[in-house]
Amino acid sequence: MLAIIKKELKSYLLTPVGYIFIGLFLLIFSVFFYINIFTSRVINFEYLFYNGATILTFLTPILTMRMFAEERKTGTEQLLLTSPRSITATVLGKFFAAGIIMIITELFTLMYFFILKHFGHPSLQVAISTLFGFFLLSLAYISFGMFASSITENQIVASVLTIGVFLLMWFLPDAISIFNIFCLIYKFENFAIGVISVSEIITFVSFTVLFILLTIITLQRRKCIR
Amino acid sequence: MIQVKNVTKKYGNFYAVRNINFEVKDGEIVGFLGRNGAGKSTTMNMITGFIEPTEGSIIVNGYNIDSKPKKVKKEIGYMPEGTPLYSDLTVKEFVTYMAELKLIPRKERKEAVKEAIKSTGLELVQNTLTRNLSRGYKQRVSMAGAIVGNPKILILDEPTVGLDPKQVIEIRELIKSFRKDHTVLISSHILSEISQICEKVIIIDKGEILAVDTTKHLEDNTSENTVLKISVDDINNKFLSIKDEIPEIINIKLTDENDEDKTKEYLVEASSKTDIRKQIFSICAKNEITILEMKKVENSLEDAFIKLVENRPEYSKKEIKKMQYEKELEELREEEKNKKEEKELKKQAKKEEKARKRANKIEKKEKKKEEKEKGGDK
Repeated sequence: MLAIIKKELKSYLLTPVGYIFIGLFLLIFSVFFYINIFTSRVINFEYLFYNGATILTFLTPILTMRMFAEERKTGTEQLLLTSPRSITATVLGKFFAAGIIMIITELFTLMYFFILKHFGHPSLQVAISTLFGFFLLSLAYISFGMFASSITENQIVASVLTIGVFLLMWFLPDAISIFNIFCLIYKFENFAIGVISVSEIITFVSFTVLFILLTIITLQRRKCIR
Repeated sequence: MIQVKNVTKKYGNFYAVRNINFEVKDGEIVGFLGRNGAGKSTTMNMITGFIEPTEGSIIVNGYNIDSKPKKVKKEIGYMPEGTPLYSDLTVKEFVTYMAELKLIPRKERKEAVKEAIKSTGLELVQNTLTRNLSRGYKQRVSMAGAIVGNPKILILDEPTVGLDPKQVIEIRELIKSFRKDHTVLISSHILSEISQICEKVIIIDKGEILAVDTTKHLEDNTSENTVLKISVDDINNKFLSIKDEIPEIINIKLTDENDEDKTKEYLVEASSKTDIRKQIFSICAKNEITILEMKKVENSLEDAFIKLVENRPEYSKKEIKKMQYEKELEELREEEKNKKEEKELKKQAKKEEKARKRANKIEKKEKKKEEKEKGGDK
């Protein structure tokens, strides 16, 4: 698995992909930071991450769309799947590599905490809870993006599918309350007020594990239908 | 050893491969021959565990791919068709990644990568990104990825497709060098290539195996008749009359007539496998026909392939005719090439002769001069 993590990180950081993701995320994050300061004159670190969740909805496909779709299109999937490495190790390797890029991005967002700390007194506990919740949310998003990438060889289809489902998960609960359970952004809001609840952690973790498993099953099933 | 037993791969109602059986023994280089879409890649993908057979079992070095996929995959080095490579990695990084994927222990990895790069002749480009390499080099990188860690079995899917003749020869030599300590299964739709590399051939067509045999055997069994190619100097046009004197001769066909030196080339088809060359020789001598060249026409793998497929009901006459036409075209090209070579050789010989004559003349002149000088001195 370590080999796959290493290789994936290389392809994120030796190509523009990783930098585009981190750069765009921080750019939009900074714009929101600036707008919040000059419009409402009130700003807190946790509030910024509501915007962060919106940004994540649209930017996650940058990290995930090529994961399996590109391997399938270029044929390198054959190299991966005919090697003695298990499909589970391959999937987890790719998932953790994207997770590491997400951690790097989150570490960069800490600078806003220190800026705010210079001028005021933001709560460290709430900040940690927010960052933790945001990390869980991003892992859940990555797992779905990865799944979308595993069912098609077209990266655009994978990214449109990812964004589409995220938007549905976001707005559908507003229209039909029964879908509340699927709204991950709402679940994240509790973390942003400093509440770390077990049920929310379980929701995020089970969503992530579900789509990791679905990705593994998809790749295994394709052995029969390929 | 690879054992493929009653393997079928079905997509809906379409059989990509139907009930195939064959065996590749240790140390053999076996060619997997068939036209595009015959089922070669499907079979190879099933052996490597990339796709699952609908029915049947595949056993590699005693392990069943179904129950022990990891062990089977460890034994195999696979070079897929189309040389898929990671374009953002350098050659060395790619081969190292392949070594990591193949679970080669960290201690041995560096040496294994070095060895694979060396044996595929990639030392000079090892720090180049794979996307910047030529097709031939990409092919080698893919090969290096397959052989890293020295797997006992190599499966090479169309390794020379799209290469220029020089690159084809290089890759061919590389494959031949694996003969000593690897079992190799190599697929191709180019018959001449297979006959040059492999001792044994598996011919597959429309998902079914038509023959598993040595190349020599396949070529020998193609025709029951003996065909001789004879070039003669026959001013009196008596050659065709030898048919009356040798009853085994079925047909004599004039294939070429050279106006310059009045030589003729015939194809003589005899009914049995008995050697009629001695008879032809003595009859020609009696009839004052000078034989310039006489050789037995060897059946090619192409002939074997056509013979095998023409009896199959699924093949339309049109398809068989097309194949025969392609074969004839290939033969004509070969002949044209040989003629050109012959002409060039003749030219070269003439030039050499002229040069020799000139040298002789100069030598003679010098000798005369010396003699004159000696005479003068006296």
